[in-house]
Amino acid sequence: MTDDKDVLRDVWFGRIPTCFTLYQDEITEREAEPYYLLLPRVSYLTLVTDKVKKHFQKVMRQEDISEIWFEYEGTPLKWHYPIGLLFDLLASSSALPWNITVHFKSFPEKDLLHCPSKDAIEAHFMSCMKEADALKHKSQVINEMQKKDHKQLWMGLQNDRFDQFWAINRKLMEYPAEENGFRYIPFRIYQTTTERPFIQKLFRPVAADGQLHTLGDLLKEVCPSAVDPEDRVSLCRSGWSAVVRSWLTATSTSEFK
Amino acid sequence: MRKTEPQRGILHGQLWTAEEQQDTIYTQLSFNMEEDEFIGEKTFQHYCAEFIKHSQQIGDSWEWRPSKEAFELPSDDCEVIETAAASKVIKYEYHVLYSCSYQVPVLYFRASFLDGRPLTLKDIWEGVHECYKTRLLQGPWDTITQQEHPILGQPFFVLHPCKTNEFMAPVLKNSRKINKNVNYITSWLSIVGPVVGLNLPLSYAKATSQAE
Repeated sequence: MTDDKDVLRDVWFGRIPTCFTLYQDEITEREAEPYYLLLPRVSYLTLVTDKVKKHFQKVMRQEDISEIWFEYEGTPLKWHYPIGLLFDLLASSSALPWNITVHFKSFPEKDLLHCPSKDAIEAHFMSCMKEADALKHKSQVINEMQKKDHKQLWMGLQNDRFDQFWAINRKLMEYPAEENGFRYIPFRIYQTTTERPFIQKLFRPVAADGQLHTLGDLLKEVCPSAVDPEDRVSLCRSGWSAVVRSWLTATSTSEFK
Repeated sequence: MRKTEPQRGILHGQLWTAEEQQDTIYTQLSFNMEEDEFIGEKTFQHYCAEFIKHSQQIGDSWEWRPSKEAFELPSDDCEVIETAAASKVIKYEYHVLYSCSYQVPVLYFRASFLDGRPLTLKDIWEGVHECYKTRLLQGPWDTITQQEHPILGQPFFVLHPCKTNEFMAPVLKNSRKINKNVNYITSWLSIVGPVVGLNLPLSYAKATSQAE
């Protein structure tokens, strides 16, 4: 794990320069200036946009404000996806900054989950961590942790504290010496071209013959269209690595050998 | 605000499966579940098939949808029970999916008024019987949350699956002890369903024990 520290830091501290603009049909008392922010790739929109909300609410009346939601080129943005994932999936081929539109009306009930509070984000995040550990360790490691350790994972993410997060997360990244890796690798593959939101399957880190699987092996098995040379690889390539990485980081898995 | 008992239109249930899992350690259909209370995906599919058979026999409206098909909910597919106050009629939709992470089934559901307005988590919560609320409130991860349906990508409510094996273990252990046939899906659904307004007719259980 120590050789990977640089990569872990790069992933954690990845940022996306973003320009937030208020939707033109929102009712304002005066002109709303756009708001610029560097968004952390590993975090969630509703966790890091308090300043954005405050900025626009300053020029609006209370009665015109309901639940905030974000949209990019007509697509409502799922706050429960990591920010880096959203960007890679939807906007990575466009010029920076990433232009996001802010809404305070007409919440799209059929598309987006509600985000009533920070607690909802915490619950979602911890649920992802738990599911990842179910795959890696049959939930044994995360269930043996104390509540304060769980809290530390969340606070580490919320407050952008790499060391605080990894002090606990490293335990979720360990496996017994006699094993060659986790039970299964937690991963999700997101593509804009598919009907379903993501591909998630059981995948062992070690093959039957004892060979360690690579990322390429995983893709070949669960998403063969991504590696078919005849196919338009650009569809998947333009961010698959970051896409896969986002989930890996958020749910803590090992690097592929 | 007066609390009303939600009326229910037809239950439109679907049993989903993710695609074939070759790498699973449960490679055989195993009804004699010596191991713990988890079920492999093929076993899940088998129990669902048995469940569907009975559903068809009694005219219950469960359907099996292999996920490879594109899914569309036909708008005229549901009968509605007319009541005096149409605004209080609530249509529930239940989906049973298999979680390969937890190796258990998971219940997804959503509800809307007749005019299409979806129920909020607050509305759903108000419909949960008191006796279940205490248990649900004990663990934030055991409760009802809004989640994205992993196949449809739309918001649904979910009963978190991570404690499923805990309450299924005694059921399965006991049935092994008395050598009784058990359909995992039927037993599981009869436990979690009532929490969110889904009550299975007793005939499902009878059908299982009669099938030797």
